[in-house]
Amino acid sequence: MAREKVGALVILLFSLAYGLLATEIPLSFLSQQEVFTARTLPYALAVAGVLLSVTIIGLPTVDPAGKKSLSEATGGMDWSTAIMLVVLMFIFGLIMKWLGFILSSIFFLLGGFTILGERRIKRMFFSAVFLVMTLWFILSGLLGVYIAPGELFYQLGVL
Amino acid sequence: MWEGMISGMLTGITTTLIPINIAMVLMGCFAGSFIGMLPGLGPITAVALMIPVTYGLDPTTGMVLLSGVYYGAIFGGSTSSILINAPGEAATVATALDGYPLARQGYPGKALAIAAYSSFSGGTIAVILMMFFAPMLASVATSFQSADYFALMLLGLTAVSAFAGRGGVLKALLMVIVGLMLATVGTDQTSGIQRFTFGSLELLDGIEFLMLAMATFALTEALSIVLKRDACSDSFKAKMIGFKSLKVTKKEFKFILPTILRSSILGFFVGVLPGAGATLGSFMAYGMERNLASKEEQKKFGKGSLRGLAAPETGNNAASTGSFVPLLTLGIPGSGTTAVMLGALIAYGIEPGPRMFVERPDVFWGVIMSMYLGNVFLLILNLPLIPYFARLLAIPRNIMVPVILFFSLMGVYLVTFNDFDIQMMVFFCIAAMALRLMNFPMAPLLLGFILGGLMEDNLRRALMIYDDSMSFMWERPITLGINLATIFILTMPLTRSAIKYVRGK
Repeated sequence: MAREKVGALVILLFSLAYGLLATEIPLSFLSQQEVFTARTLPYALAVAGVLLSVTIIGLPTVDPAGKKSLSEATGGMDWSTAIMLVVLMFIFGLIMKWLGFILSSIFFLLGGFTILGERRIKRMFFSAVFLVMTLWFILSGLLGVYIAPGELFYQLGVL
Repeated sequence: MWEGMISGMLTGITTTLIPINIAMVLMGCFAGSFIGMLPGLGPITAVALMIPVTYGLDPTTGMVLLSGVYYGAIFGGSTSSILINAPGEAATVATALDGYPLARQGYPGKALAIAAYSSFSGGTIAVILMMFFAPMLASVATSFQSADYFALMLLGLTAVSAFAGRGGVLKALLMVIVGLMLATVGTDQTSGIQRFTFGSLELLDGIEFLMLAMATFALTEALSIVLKRDACSDSFKAKMIGFKSLKVTKKEFKFILPTILRSSILGFFVGVLPGAGATLGSFMAYGMERNLASKEEQKKFGKGSLRGLAAPETGNNAASTGSFVPLLTLGIPGSGTTAVMLGALIAYGIEPGPRMFVERPDVFWGVIMSMYLGNVFLLILNLPLIPYFARLLAIPRNIMVPVILFFSLMGVYLVTFNDFDIQMMVFFCIAAMALRLMNFPMAPLLLGFILGGLMEDNLRRALMIYDDSMSFMWERPITLGINLATIFILTMPLTRSAIKYVRGK
């Protein structure tokens, strides 16, 4: 199946789910009497989304790049590295609150360098610490932005 | 009108020549060239990455900085196209067609200098044209009502799809719809009703524009570098060509001068069209020049022709400037990058559109006049710095990619200080990456998202004025005119196919 059609199918399902959820948008008694309510645009968009995606699925694919199947288009890609980076970003979001800006950022950069194959420890540490500390100094020292320390330090009684 | 224009220009000059604004133009050009030069990163990413820096600034200063980043990034993209045949983005692909062969022939300095002079000339001529056309359009547009705005936004959204590549119209339209759907998340501004928030407090204010822009462009572009192993910048070092001289002879300059003039005018008007942008500007200028060239000269195209290099470089810069016309006068972005800038304007609390011309002349004229300064800075500062900038291309991706990801995530986190935004950004990054792999464009999604709220508000207001009737769509002459333009643009691909079919018969 052409990758474009796979995409259209995904958006078709998304549009259907969006349309169904739109029926659950609460309306007050007064707004129910109006012609244009909070549901009107979502309904119109859901219909447009369904119509357009069905058209893409139904019509022959013209775009040569879109004709390729997903496996053809993504064959040979470095999936494992990309997935590890995505997971790292997700973990970064989770630990930010607990470890605070400096530690979590250094962890993120070191993790990123390692995932991408960097093995020179000194270079990694220097780049990560220098970048994070410079940014922290600009924000806290020069711009006066308050960056809260990690929750963990409060829990441990360090702060 | 002339009096207004002159006083506006004076306002612009006074605004631009404030030390902080001069510094921002300089910083914008510098940062734009720096980011734009990195393979895989284009002006949209460059502008999105710099938006958090502008949040503490005055709106005019912020816009001046972002404008500098925009044309700096276009300029930077040309450098990687010429030196390593790796265009940072679509607008500089045409530059690589003749720029890289010229560099391979032993003239990388000359190629870069021609690109710089062409960019400067294209940008400057387009700014002059903009000074005349933008106020004219803005003064006409001040009589616009909600109905016209709604129609204009429809025009802007459909125009993006009209300039999509072969077979891309429906996909672009579908992405606009998805963008509009995302814009409905949060509290409805008029009724105060929550939509698609799933009871989450974080979603009450809707999806943050900057977060979506970073997720769909900066993060996905950085991940694309990783996914496509061949885009690894480690290999660029070996491909890099050494510099000799940045000199262009008088004869060569005379030879490319008519090309620069023609491409500037064409590029500007292409850029003014909503949805066209720098990519179309560069390719159309290249195509025009090739058609106009003698048969002998035509053979040189693609093999290092000076005209083949000057035309797209002039065209893309002129079009970039031209795309500011619909943004500043109508509040309709002319390209993906100006869509991101429109989002920034809204975030600054400025309502984009013709009223901005009247209410915030400092922003309107400040941006226009700062472009002059930006073009000069790009020429006199960046040109000698190119050899040093080019060393960036040798930064290994092991270091570059995590740093880009870090700045993208930080850019959003430091605005909201909410770690939920990082999680949401990762979610949108995965979705955007999947859609990209399925060959769906991202710029229309962002455009739909940015214009969604404004479009719904204007439609609602127009309906209230016209007693819940859609008759304004054909009763108001201005609205009707804009709607006819929308219909024309929507049916253009069909008409093209029909003409081809008839000719084929």
